[in-house]
Amino acid sequence: MLQLVDFIFRNRFFLVFVLLEVVSMWLVISNNNYWGATYFNTSNYYVAKTMAVSTNVSEYTKLGEINENLAIENARLHALVTQLSQKSPTSAPNGYEADSLFAERFSYTVAKVVDNQTNNQNNFITIDKGTADGIFPGMGVISATGVVGKVRVCSENYAVITSILHSQFMVSSKLVRSDEIGYAKWPGKDPNRIELMDVSKYTKILKGDSAVTSDQNSVFPPGIMVGEVETVEVNQNQTFYNIVLRLATDFPNLSYVYVVKNNQIEEQEQLKKSLENQK
Amino acid sequence: MNLRQIIQAVQLVIIYLILQIFFMRNLVLFNYAFSFVYIAIILLLPIETDRLYLLIIGFLVGLLVDFFSNTYGIHAAATVLIAYARPILLNYQIESKGLDRVGIGIRAQGLPAFVSYVLPLIFIHNCVLFLLEMNNVGMIFYSTIRIVASTVLTFIFILVLELFSKR
Repeated sequence: MLQLVDFIFRNRFFLVFVLLEVVSMWLVISNNNYWGATYFNTSNYYVAKTMAVSTNVSEYTKLGEINENLAIENARLHALVTQLSQKSPTSAPNGYEADSLFAERFSYTVAKVVDNQTNNQNNFITIDKGTADGIFPGMGVISATGVVGKVRVCSENYAVITSILHSQFMVSSKLVRSDEIGYAKWPGKDPNRIELMDVSKYTKILKGDSAVTSDQNSVFPPGIMVGEVETVEVNQNQTFYNIVLRLATDFPNLSYVYVVKNNQIEEQEQLKKSLENQK
Repeated sequence: MNLRQIIQAVQLVIIYLILQIFFMRNLVLFNYAFSFVYIAIILLLPIETDRLYLLIIGFLVGLLVDFFSNTYGIHAAATVLIAYARPILLNYQIESKGLDRVGIGIRAQGLPAFVSYVLPLIFIHNCVLFLLEMNNVGMIFYSTIRIVASTVLTFIFILVLELFSKR
């Protein structure tokens, strides 16, 4: 017994060292997914508050760019309004009339970016709206120019978003002109470029074609810009293209985002679940 | 440690944490070089600091930086490791020179000894940090560049801050 006490005493620094390392490793591993709820992060009130101070200062230097993005968005919305007033849904067959509830299922909340990361391999964004403003984990987030990510955790007044610059985040996207569907995934290097995977190499892909979120997506509304095709490569041994997209969202200068709420997502998911239960 | 040293140590912790959280967190050169200037807290604490306190301070400081960068424990793991390695490196320096004790800092140690003490620890810290963050092996080359670039940048910052501080 005395020997054991002696051993512990002699190696106490090493034992404390091992203990602390194990605790931090446990923290790393238990938080190593992008969907799970976590406690210590930037949605914490005090942490977010301090970061808001430093963001407020740097925001003044970006005002020009923010204005420009808003102007672009205005233009796009004007185009959309005229398009809608000109004609009813074009791609649908005759006789199809969208349920007004379905057509209006998305609602938007504007939020300000409090903290923004682009340089890690897994990036997160903190915004100044939380559960008090009706924001909940799982909602999609877009900016004036393109997709941004998905809400991961919320506190009362703040929320942390998994940005699409995250190694495990994938967005189902569609190439507009070639009408092909693939997954957009960030390879982890340049915050302005993203890869589009699973596009069959037996179709023609045009450079400069734009990739938008596909219709098979319950988080983002269909037709939100993901990026533009920058390079297309064919790997001889594979049946898929290596496509690199230039991201539509300017992540390093992100200042305001829109949180998308799909009012019918619960109904949609419930229906799917009931099907699984029947099996 | 006397009261004066304790107050100085607290100052050191607060100043470097503010520097890291408000300024260095946003400073990344060419998308490669990060500066983790906060590890100077562990590097520059006085030599009389108890090893146990060193480990605990390292853990808490790392955890605080983790909260602000959404990295959950990565900084804590790296900082605890260098807090453990620090006395080993210092003892080696004392023995090889045959001194009773060394002070820490560029003036007390002299430039060559200071560099050979600070640089390996920064390198170890950055290695742990980027290798833990890396989530597929294909990124190893990219991470290696980041480790080297960040080590150099962090070292330059710590050296400059040390040159301008009077202790």
